[in-house]
Amino acid sequence: MKKLPVWNKLIYLLTMYNEDRNFDTDQILKEAFTSEPEFKLSENFTDLLVEKVERRFAWAQYIREFLIYLSVILGIMLVTAVLAFVWYDAKIENWLSFFTSNAALVVGINLLVVFVLFADRVLLRYFMYRASTE
Amino acid sequence: MNDAQLVQQVLNGNNHAFRFLVSKYQRLVTHVVGRIIQQEDELEDICQEVFIKVFKTLKRFRGDSKLSTWIATIAYNTAITHYRKLKRRGELSYSEEPNLILAEKDPGLNQKSIEKEEAKKYLMQLIESLPVNYRTVITLFHLEEFSYKEIEEITGMPEGTIKSYLSRARKLLKGKIEKVARLEQTNIFVDYV
Repeated sequence: MKKLPVWNKLIYLLTMYNEDRNFDTDQILKEAFTSEPEFKLSENFTDLLVEKVERRFAWAQYIREFLIYLSVILGIMLVTAVLAFVWYDAKIENWLSFFTSNAALVVGINLLVVFVLFADRVLLRYFMYRASTE
Repeated sequence: MNDAQLVQQVLNGNNHAFRFLVSKYQRLVTHVVGRIIQQEDELEDICQEVFIKVFKTLKRFRGDSKLSTWIATIAYNTAITHYRKLKRRGELSYSEEPNLILAEKDPGLNQKSIEKEEAKKYLMQLIESLPVNYRTVITLFHLEEFSYKEIEEITGMPEGTIKSYLSRARKLLKGKIEKVARLEQTNIFVDYV
């Protein structure tokens, strides 16, 4: 059998396709347009996706809670500072000189507190969640 | 459960509702993304990205349009962004003449149905070889049965352009098929024995 190019093979196949009815291009096109393409997703696509979304949702939830805790702590600190100025005649210059002379200590303690809070409210909970779902 | 209830359930953190939403619209997203990207290895990741975007932005869905239209819009925008990225990187392969799909794979089919299937597969591959905008509007209009208005909303193309793409795509494919029919009459299959 002589080897034909791809287009000739298509012509042959279309001839076979149409030999039992009148040639109707619109009908063929309609069939082709409404046929399902062959793209397929894996069978566990939904499971994997839901798992991923749940993890993201949990992470976002933990971050939100961490931010709420942080703002509450900052709020309490702010109220305390205001009270100190109003009731105890605290001087801003004294505070500024304390902060500047102990900058490393102040920044270090604050970072440590924020990290402990973040680890407790976000990281640990997230890893526990991951461990429970895997 | 209607779309509004489904959205509310998902927003309330009901995982089963989200699972249901994914199953309900998975076909739509796969078709839209698949027809634009045409790369099996990228398809799953992009579909995941689409549904994650749907989940993240669902609270912004006001119900002005159908949920399917809204999800199709996200799928279209995500896929077209990836398509442009792939095109820029030169990673898109374009095949003018699709490869022959061997029919012997399914022994349960008789010869005639194998040939019909093969012809259909060729036509499908011809559709895949159309320009991206043509295949997108064909998918949305014929396969997903969206109206012109909805396709306009999804793709941002004016209604006239959508109609023109549909008609040009039809004309292009019709031309190819009719060429086949004409050649058939000239008995070019003499050698094919």
